[in-house]
Amino acid sequence: MSTTKPAAIETGVTLPYRLALNIRALEMTEAQLARLSSDNGDLRLELTAGKELIIMPPVASEGGLGEHELSLQVGIWAKQDGTGRVFSPSAGFNLPNGAIRSPDVSWIPLSRWEALSDDDRRGFAKICPDFVIELRSESDSLREVQRKMDEYMETGVLLGLLVDPQNRRVHIYRPGQAIEILEEPASVSGEPVLPGFALDLAAFW
Amino acid sequence: MTTTKPAAIETGVILPYRLVLNIRALEMTEDQLFQFCSDNGDLQIELTANKELVIMPPNGLEGSWQELYLASQVLVWAKHDGTGRAFGPSAGYTLPNGAVRAPDASWMPLSRWESLSRDDQTKFGHTFPDFAIELRSPSDSVREVQDKMREYMKNGVLLGFLVDPQNRRVHIYRPSQAIEILEEPDEVSADPVLPGFALDLTAIW
Repeated sequence: MSTTKPAAIETGVTLPYRLALNIRALEMTEAQLARLSSDNGDLRLELTAGKELIIMPPVASEGGLGEHELSLQVGIWAKQDGTGRVFSPSAGFNLPNGAIRSPDVSWIPLSRWEALSDDDRRGFAKICPDFVIELRSESDSLREVQRKMDEYMETGVLLGLLVDPQNRRVHIYRPGQAIEILEEPASVSGEPVLPGFALDLAAFW
Repeated sequence: MTTTKPAAIETGVILPYRLVLNIRALEMTEDQLFQFCSDNGDLQIELTANKELVIMPPNGLEGSWQELYLASQVLVWAKHDGTGRAFGPSAGYTLPNGAVRAPDASWMPLSRWESLSRDDQTKFGHTFPDFAIELRSPSDSVREVQDKMREYMKNGVLLGFLVDPQNRRVHIYRPSQAIEILEEPDEVSADPVLPGFALDLTAIW
């Protein structure tokens, strides 16, 4: 949470569109980005590999519930499975291409988590998750989320699910394979990356 | 104009609300701020005295002609008068309180302009205008623009006009005098700061 006055959207209305700022001139350090995020806790910030700061509005309540539902399902499975850690959208991953991204849900095996330094665990860890879910929100264009998924796959993610409630579709990303698109699936399997896990999506359509 | 890729509003829609970002963590230098503003040339950017970045959407067509309509009158008068320099909306002033602000139109006497260093003349100079006009845009709340006007007056401005097309009013600010509010004035005199100048507003209402 923010310790100083958080950024206010002065009109009191949710910012509906994401904004990309070219911040190459600022030569921002990771520590500064971490503080910028916490000082502006009501906004979601990401950094692209090209050093653009992406500013996203707070999630609308419907999107928030959806994110929560997805985290909850992965969380329940992970607790029972016991071989990894699940992260909420506030986790920022410092990807190998230099981008800092926050998937809506992500999972990392314990072995990789424990190999991280304390600094990495507290800040934006230089690690890419094995599994990610992105839930397309009202303010996301499909292309933007697809680009994000492509970036995850290029930087080492083993399984990625793009949940698109507007078009009632799930796009499944696996390394070196064509993207699989399912129409209104009742559930999507997380095998073999998340053994025994299936994401129940009935509530989204 | 921007020399590198400008910030894109990725959905291609005009950002309807201003965004306030607490950037104290970045310890941005003045040169970095100047470069940052030019790298994101399609956005209007200001800095508050509290080191918050205020990001405003580009003007719509109406706002743009209104802005030019007001600024060009100041320019025509200044050219004829010959004792000072008139500035358009892209002029950024680093005010004595540390804020960087860009009034929609402004004027300063030649004596002050010539006393500035070359750096101050070519960047966001450490100075202030004698005269400033702010045009309230659809995304501004009246209070925001009023706060800006009060800040100008505290930082050396001798005459300020707040033009509010939505409410068909002009607020006139003079140092240590009550704010004067005129309803749909045809013109507003800028005497004695700009001798002989009256701002014609008939086309605004």
